[in-house]
Amino acid sequence: MEKYDVAIIGGGSAGLAALKQLSNLGKQAILFEAGSKVGSKNISGGILYSKKPKKGKTYNVEDIYENFLTDAPFERKITKYILHATSKDKVFSIDLTEAHNYEANFGCSVLMNKLNQWFLQQVTETAQKHGGGIVPGVHVRDIRWEGERTIVQTDELEEVEVKAIIAADGVNSEVAYMTGARQKFSPSQLYQGVKVVIKLPEEIMNERFSIGQDDGAAHLFAGDVTLNHIGGGFLYTNRDTLSVGAVYHLDSLLDAPVEPYDLVNTLLKNPMISEFIKDEVPVRGEIDKNMAKEEQMRIRFAVTKMIKTWTELRDAYYSKSQKERLVKEGKYGSEDEIGSQLSSIREQMSSKYGIKFETDYVEAEYSAKLVPDGKRCRMEKPYFKNILFVGDAAGRGVFVGPRIEGLNVGIDDAARAANAVARSLDKNNFSDDYLGQYYSQSVEESPYTHDLKSIDKDYLKIFLDAAKDVPKDIISAKYGMVVKMMSSKTLRNFAVGVANILGYEKLLPVIETTETYVKVPTEIAERLGKSIQSSYTPSIPPIAQRVAKLKYNDDNISHIKVLKPTSEFMKKMITLCPTGCYFMEKDGVMIQHEGCVECGTCSEETDWKHPRGEKGINYQYG
Amino acid sequence: MNSINVAVIVKLEPDFSEGNVSYNPDGTLNRAETKNILGPHSEIAVNAAFYAKVKYGANISIGTMGPPTAESMLQHAQLISDADDLYLYSDRIFAGADTLATAEVLKSGVLKMQGKMDIVFSGHRASDGETGQTGPQTAWKLGMTFLGNAIDYEINMETRTVRAKRLVRLQGIYDVVEEIEAPLPVFIAIDPSYVPKFNTVSQRLAYEKYQREATQRAQNFKQYLKTFNAAQIEADPKLIGISGSPTIVYKVERIPKGKATRQAEIIDGTDQEQIRKVVAKMRQSLSTMVIK
Repeated sequence: MEKYDVAIIGGGSAGLAALKQLSNLGKQAILFEAGSKVGSKNISGGILYSKKPKKGKTYNVEDIYENFLTDAPFERKITKYILHATSKDKVFSIDLTEAHNYEANFGCSVLMNKLNQWFLQQVTETAQKHGGGIVPGVHVRDIRWEGERTIVQTDELEEVEVKAIIAADGVNSEVAYMTGARQKFSPSQLYQGVKVVIKLPEEIMNERFSIGQDDGAAHLFAGDVTLNHIGGGFLYTNRDTLSVGAVYHLDSLLDAPVEPYDLVNTLLKNPMISEFIKDEVPVRGEIDKNMAKEEQMRIRFAVTKMIKTWTELRDAYYSKSQKERLVKEGKYGSEDEIGSQLSSIREQMSSKYGIKFETDYVEAEYSAKLVPDGKRCRMEKPYFKNILFVGDAAGRGVFVGPRIEGLNVGIDDAARAANAVARSLDKNNFSDDYLGQYYSQSVEESPYTHDLKSIDKDYLKIFLDAAKDVPKDIISAKYGMVVKMMSSKTLRNFAVGVANILGYEKLLPVIETTETYVKVPTEIAERLGKSIQSSYTPSIPPIAQRVAKLKYNDDNISHIKVLKPTSEFMKKMITLCPTGCYFMEKDGVMIQHEGCVECGTCSEETDWKHPRGEKGINYQYG
Repeated sequence: MNSINVAVIVKLEPDFSEGNVSYNPDGTLNRAETKNILGPHSEIAVNAAFYAKVKYGANISIGTMGPPTAESMLQHAQLISDADDLYLYSDRIFAGADTLATAEVLKSGVLKMQGKMDIVFSGHRASDGETGQTGPQTAWKLGMTFLGNAIDYEINMETRTVRAKRLVRLQGIYDVVEEIEAPLPVFIAIDPSYVPKFNTVSQRLAYEKYQREATQRAQNFKQYLKTFNAAQIEADPKLIGISGSPTIVYKVERIPKGKATRQAEIIDGTDQEQIRKVVAKMRQSLSTMVIK
């Protein structure tokens, strides 16, 4: 049997950070990733933060990757952070940029497929130098202990023996279930997030969002766009795409099921968002069916090619760097020449093939993910024997009002886990108290854990200051006492103190209600909002078309087994599965696993595993 | 340590995928508008060679007969296989070659490669010619044992033998797996269904390491590239190009569309109704069949 020092399970941003940190410390580690390549199964909202807390220290992404700020392909540094209350066509906006900047070095929008690929490049060489590296396309099936030996069994490879394991296998951590380290998260501890990536040329975006070349904007949405659910919508600017998504408490969705894609569609149909995402889209003309089959086919192929050429050139034309590159490479004499070539192709498209141009939007990718609500589900002791759990696998994400942080928490955990494992390797001691408890202690000291346990009154003040234009009478009906207490410093400190004594658990059911996320924002928008009109109606693809666009490597056996086909929960899955994999048959609920994006929404009452190595969903953006 | 030399012969072919391919109004391929790429079967052969690199540390040489533009295809092949040497056999005299004349160039080319080859790989066929002849003919000219339709192979470095599985048709039955052992050198035409398998962590790590090296090498692929003309590979002028090609294409006919004898019936309704109707039809047809 082959032997390695450390196995990291899961090649997302946390797993890769653990590998980088271990390699930096000169340790040998191998990383198993189930996807055919690193990043292919990762989804994020996504903003990645770097923090500078007043107390304690966080391991930030640029601590792990020194060249992050200069070289990494993150999208844009978010410089505007705005919360919108919506009601029909009315929108009232609250600028939360101060809250976004609170204790932060920066927060940047990211697409995980691209970014994780970059992390991979940074880590591979050092990992190889120490005899380790990354093993993609391998799904860990079981972990067992034989005396002192820890053995990892996979679906694809021969067994290997390791000394310690870092479990970074995400919110649906199989390592956690198979070892019994923790229960599956329950719906009340989870959010379901659904996102679409939308294409928009770079310079059009800069102008539309009034942002500089490398700056970005984040827009959050509450009010009637939530369709009465607890959570909200978001829109982030990437380099030349937008991420638009809806994130809601899973138990809220279970109470009154609504198709997850409808929640996203509702956002897209909001006039403010419709205007944000609009673009010029070529529409194919009808091909004369009376023509010879070969001629029809030739035209179809020619049209596809022309649209592709036009789209690529247009993307380049609206990107400063790409435009410069094309001129520098000598493909075009000047930037104006690209412009005239573009209009000449456009002219040909309509004259030769009857292609029309309409105002619409261009969807590139649909995705879904569960998000662990760290306030409710973080593992108190994130270890089991010699396995350390990090990030989503340990149920750690900071979601407090408009504060949405997951990636940076996972990276912080990963660095702590790597340090703990390195220390154990040095002493060859992997016992509970030397490894597990040491790591647990380190995680406990993390400022993120502090934020998961108690309210930060300074953050709260910034948030309340931003909302100071909202008339008190709207919120006072429900929060009169709270508002009064928060208005003075002494009372605020007292109130937060009392709240923290009560603890989040008792407080959350009071704060996280439809009142906060739906009713109050809707009323604010109705009374104070500006009306926004959209010039078109976006043609939103049906879910079947969205799923058809995704890339899968089909597995002929299902990775999910329905255990209770007639349960109420499973019946709700027919509505709540983001890709509509469930349907009703005579004997109960059945699954068609081919369209599964492995989000885990149905995990509660199914035998849920990730697909075998290389199989399943293969995200292109993430 | 025992070393092994592996060659792959590949072909530059039109990219037939939608969005890249163009056709003329008469239905023929518009070559000027269509980009050329590494043929899909060649790509499988290159993957098979990479398996030998990962598992046995093989030295890989890739050769092709083609125009100077075939360079970028060799670069792609190097990116896949971390090839140590790339060979382009390019000469105006080669033009108009049929499979036999091509095989002559490839044979001469393989003999000019660095080191004596233990295994030569080729794809199963080309996506533009579809003859499946060039591989076997090259093997014959090289005097190597030919193993066609190989779906798997292992090398015994001690005994210098190769054990291969072939997908063959036996007494009318398709997809019979035949296992064969042959002494090196051999010529392997790889089956389209071939997928390399790496079963241990160390092999997977080696795979990643070589892929990484391949990315670096492919960036400076010209450093690894040698271009030879007819004189340099010492090919017999009588056996190459148009003069070495006994095949004469005197006419190309469009295949006439067959007249349909079956009757199509459009089934409508909801998905479930449609499926029910189709199943009913299948039941009906099956009930009339006699199973012997």
